[in-house]
Amino acid sequence: MGPISFVKEYWRLMLLLVFVSFALVALFIPGGIMADDSYVDGESVNDNPTNLEYGLGLDGGTRISAPVVGMTAENIDAGAVDDDGQVDRERLNEIESTLYDNDEFELETGDARVSIDDDGNVHAEVFTDEVTEEQFAAALAEAGVEVDPDEDIRDGVTAETRNQMIETIQSKINEAGLDGGDAYESEQLGGQHYIVTEVPDMDPDELRNLLSERGIVEVVAYYPEDDAGNHTNQTVLEGGDIATVDPPQTSERGGGYEVPVEVYSNAAPEFQDNMNELGFTGEGQGMCQLSGGEDGVNFDHDGPQYCLLTVVDGEVIDAHSMGDNLARPMAEGTWSSDPSFVMGAPDQQQAQGLSVSLQAGAMPAPLDFSQEQTYSLSPALADQFKLYSLLIGGLSVLTVSGMVFLRYRDVRVASPMILTAMAEVVILLGFAALIRMPLDLSHVAGFIAVVGTGVDDLIIIADEVMDEGDVSSQRVFESRFRKAFWIIGAAAATTIIAMSPLAVLSLGDLRGFAIITILGVLIGVLITRPAYGDILQRLLTDK
Amino acid sequence: MGYFDVPEFDYTRYSNRQLAAVPLAVLAVALLVLTGSFLATGAPVQLGMDFAGGSELTIQTTSSEEEIVQAFDEEPESVQAVTAPDTENQYIVQFTSTDLSSLSEQAEANLAQDGDTAVVQEERTVSESFGEQTQQTALLGIAVAFLGMSVLAFLLFRTFVPSIAIVLSAFSDIVIPLAFMTITGISLSLGTVAALLMLIGYSVDSDILLNNQILRRQGDFYESTLQATRTGVTMTVTSMAAMLVMGVSAWLFGVELLASIGIILFVGLAADLMNTYMLNLSLLRWYKFHGVRS
Repeated sequence: MGPISFVKEYWRLMLLLVFVSFALVALFIPGGIMADDSYVDGESVNDNPTNLEYGLGLDGGTRISAPVVGMTAENIDAGAVDDDGQVDRERLNEIESTLYDNDEFELETGDARVSIDDDGNVHAEVFTDEVTEEQFAAALAEAGVEVDPDEDIRDGVTAETRNQMIETIQSKINEAGLDGGDAYESEQLGGQHYIVTEVPDMDPDELRNLLSERGIVEVVAYYPEDDAGNHTNQTVLEGGDIATVDPPQTSERGGGYEVPVEVYSNAAPEFQDNMNELGFTGEGQGMCQLSGGEDGVNFDHDGPQYCLLTVVDGEVIDAHSMGDNLARPMAEGTWSSDPSFVMGAPDQQQAQGLSVSLQAGAMPAPLDFSQEQTYSLSPALADQFKLYSLLIGGLSVLTVSGMVFLRYRDVRVASPMILTAMAEVVILLGFAALIRMPLDLSHVAGFIAVVGTGVDDLIIIADEVMDEGDVSSQRVFESRFRKAFWIIGAAAATTIIAMSPLAVLSLGDLRGFAIITILGVLIGVLITRPAYGDILQRLLTDK
Repeated sequence: MGYFDVPEFDYTRYSNRQLAAVPLAVLAVALLVLTGSFLATGAPVQLGMDFAGGSELTIQTTSSEEEIVQAFDEEPESVQAVTAPDTENQYIVQFTSTDLSSLSEQAEANLAQDGDTAVVQEERTVSESFGEQTQQTALLGIAVAFLGMSVLAFLLFRTFVPSIAIVLSAFSDIVIPLAFMTITGISLSLGTVAALLMLIGYSVDSDILLNNQILRRQGDFYESTLQATRTGVTMTVTSMAAMLVMGVSAWLFGVELLASIGIILFVGLAADLMNTYMLNLSLLRWYKFHGVRS
């Protein structure tokens, strides 16, 4: 037999071998087929003998999904965009401040937002559940924007806000030193969007704390308003004004911690002027007796105070006086060319939190934990699940093999059947390693289902081909094989159709199951099952 | 022929009516069970935590089951001990409350630690509103899958009776396991929904095989039937064995997702054996001998 006719006859089998070898390389050679840098980073250096990646359900960790609190008036007629597409930013800010100052309801800092998207449409959002649609519409009307509370206002926030949430959560996770964490969006039927956060090594309470902190940081000046001893607050610096943050350190001035920061050069002069005008660099220098503790700052004091308060999410966590090192360059007006200073925090934990909030930026909106879905698994139990999956999978394969042997009593028919079904799983596993699909329990169920459907189809092929006596010639074999293949193709099509809704809809765990099953059926029909036909032909036609 | 033989069944002894009566009666009973449960509880099947909301903890503790029940302010819905190699003192506890942090606090405060391992090994909560959305999504998924399968059946055979036979037996294949769940108190979870969808795919295999053999091949009706039955029963029984092993072992190990998929597929495939070789077959025989095709 010449090489060409050999290839012609056994191309199906060869294709299977090629796929299996690729899969084995992808599975077991470190770095796999597509080696990328993340592998060298040390993140994946563990006792994992394969290149498979595991998801939360097999590796441990915590996942919290929750929707964003808020409502949106979309496409409002704000009069802020003229016919040429020019945007009147001042008008947007005006609407936003009207929302804060309206007579209907009170908002905390960061709970209202008027923004413009790439298509030039203006959206107004409020991020609280204490405002009704009617109140929101009335507040917008105060700003000269007419909206119908029933038709124009919907629950939920804009896509831009959600994207910002996800970015902020991702940087929060990174700043908190959690490798391998991730945040993404999942859309439910009916259009509700959930923000999903996954981290290894953190329990649900810790993660919920991290996510429930908005991280809105302000520096507030607390100073005497008049000679009668009344004091007043003024926000002099916001989180967004801060350019760079250094890691927290213990304070040089006695107890407490501090976070060194540098202010953006465009915000620095105003801060400096404010400090000078309010008297912080003159009579108020060093004049602060308040300090933070576990319960925040106690504002009982005698005499005038000039304090810089560190405020996180509306809560005062610490108070400091203006030191000489800072006051002198400010008074001279030179500070703004090298605008760095330190923000105070009473203990290391709060200092760390402050640093994370400053670096990650503020979350534009809070998450609604009353609608959350939480899943958390300890690494120990995850390891058990890995073992169990292997055991359950192994037992299922053994059962299938046992049944097939009992049925055919012919090793020539049964053993290639089992090998072929296993090859299907190996190819699938290789594929999963290649695209770095994180495997979960649902995928394991998918693998077992693939073995099940695979063997079903091989039984059809075997019965069809061996039917009506021995297979004597190539022609007889081909015609019978083709008939069997019609059934297999039809069955595969129904399985794919039945599974495709699961692969598309966001039904949590089940997506993996559906994807693996569909992929398995495809690999089976296109690669492994035709190859089994080749093997069977070789064995039965006695050539 | 080997050790595990597919029994030969003498179809000629029974009329089409007799053959179809059994699966139709079972289907009717199943529908009755579901309707009854719907009227009594508002849901045809008991909804699990994925759909109704609730919490679940997997705990590792030396305390007894009784102590576990008493450790929580709220009485647990269920406590299941995990039986697996290398694992002792592990329990899965379910609650209807969704206040996960206080539940895990109570577990840590009131239960005895087993060596160095943390008491709470796994925790999970689904809020009610999230569950409701999942319900709708799952219903939509099943409806779309079933509709897609029906359309495909008609496209494949292009004649009414054989196609409707497939659709009818697939319908019965889903309804019977659902009724089984209602009776045995297995609640509907994401895993069981996956199993039901998988059943649509799996069960249609043997129907397609039967229809194909009888309609698209020449030869005697009973001979074709015998052939199709031999292959089809082997297929289904093999899958049933695999699913039973997977279901039982996963249940012992406390891996719920795999356990529910396994058990439901096992029951559904058993129903499929009956539906394919009694209901579908009787419809096909009627079609072949009395149908309008001559």
